[in-house]
Amino acid sequence: MGDKIILLVEDNPDDVELTIRALKKSNILNDVTVARDGAEALDYFFGKGKYAGRDMTIMPAVTLLDLKLPKVGGLEVLQRIRSEERTKLLPVVILTSSKEEQDLIKGYKLGANSYIRKPVDFNQFIEAVRQLGLYWLLLNEAPPA
Amino acid sequence: MTRWLRSDAGLEYVGDSANYVRAILNILADFNEEKERLHETQRAILNILDDSAEEKARLGDTQRAILNILEDSTSEKTRLEETQRAILNILDDSAEEKARLGDAQRAVLNILDDFDIEKKKVEQFNVELRSEIAERKRIEEDLRQTKAATDAVNKELEAFSYSVSHDLRAPLRAIDGFSHALLEDYVDRLDKQGRDYLQRVRAATQRMAQLIDDMLKLSRVTRAEVSREEVDLSVLAQEIIAELNRVQPDRKVEFAIASELKARGDSRLLRIALENLLSNAFKFTRPHPKARIEFGVMEKDGKPVYFVRDDGVGFDMAYVDKLFGAFQRLHDTREFPGTGIGLAIVQRVIYKHGGKVWAEGEVEKGATFYLSLL
Repeated sequence: MGDKIILLVEDNPDDVELTIRALKKSNILNDVTVARDGAEALDYFFGKGKYAGRDMTIMPAVTLLDLKLPKVGGLEVLQRIRSEERTKLLPVVILTSSKEEQDLIKGYKLGANSYIRKPVDFNQFIEAVRQLGLYWLLLNEAPPA
Repeated sequence: MTRWLRSDAGLEYVGDSANYVRAILNILADFNEEKERLHETQRAILNILDDSAEEKARLGDTQRAILNILEDSTSEKTRLEETQRAILNILDDSAEEKARLGDAQRAVLNILDDFDIEKKKVEQFNVELRSEIAERKRIEEDLRQTKAATDAVNKELEAFSYSVSHDLRAPLRAIDGFSHALLEDYVDRLDKQGRDYLQRVRAATQRMAQLIDDMLKLSRVTRAEVSREEVDLSVLAQEIIAELNRVQPDRKVEFAIASELKARGDSRLLRIALENLLSNAFKFTRPHPKARIEFGVMEKDGKPVYFVRDDGVGFDMAYVDKLFGAFQRLHDTREFPGTGIGLAIVQRVIYKHGGKVWAEGEVEKGATFYLSLL
């Protein structure tokens, strides 16, 4: 799994903490970059704001995207990266609390690669994160940069 | 000269012979005069007579003329009479005609009367129709406003449930996640009671998560638009039963599902209702070693009434009113897990179809749930 980066777009610090903990518990030791809202995520993808001048050859192997975010919502982030040539093929997994049908439909329509609802039960959450990491970081072949 | 004097005693000699002759000549002369006068008189009479004859002739003419006139008058009279008769006849005919006309007129008047009545009825009807149209317009307007209000409420509800779904679950995840972290990372610093408390915290978060999910389910059903299509309820029931048997294969339950139970409604919503009814039947027959669950149809007031019947633990009819209330439960959660949302969802689905749902039961003798659709 080596140098593959995980981008976690999550505004809730508890969820950030628990997601990182779940990744560790699943022995997924890749670097995790956290964006606290949608605008920060876009800055990361496009090398702007606090991410101006970052090495743009490095793109996340998988992005875990929450939907309900301050400033720019998760679905809008997805729409923006799908409309840009250098980010349009990046694997994006929606990881959210919502199981609302509308969110699922919109998410998939905008090109999400997967949609996972965060379980309240932490044991189930660890299991979900473990499988997710295993699949996207190990099994899945990322698109060529 | 001798003169004869005329006297009342006749002629009276009054001279001698010569005188006498003269006297006679005189007499003769007198006689001639007399004769002449007689002639004249005769002529006069004759004249008069002539005149009289003429007069008579004229009288005759006049008489004839009068007679003619009278004759003419007679014929005239006859003609007049004929004319009169004719007129009378005509008048007679006319009377009949008039009578007939009278009848016709009455008939026409009747028709006009009828027409009038009819017209009044039509006017009355129009008045009623207009007021009905006004009433309908009012109702339509009310409905439009109600729908607008409902739409607004639904929109709010949607935003609300989104918030509930997302925001209410996040803290629960944190409570459960960090309780889990404590139990893992600090297990050596916790005694048995401490660990038990944390387990209780985790169990409570699970229950609350379940309640939130069930609330969302109920709200989703409430917000759902009902479509109308032909739904094979028998097929739906078979699919649901297959899933129940798959999840709990050790149960000994006999299912009796009537075939070809077709209904018009929303297949997705009706599946949700049937899922709840059948899984309830499955759940509440569990204490019995053998159970029978029936899904069928009967007729009530010419309409089909579907029912799900089981021979499970049943319920006390004293609490039948609470049965369909959201989060109402008649049984112990430890024995029969659940939040008490299932029948509330069933009721809402059926109400949305314009139907009715009701139940009968007896403790330890089972329960029957009836539902009718519009």
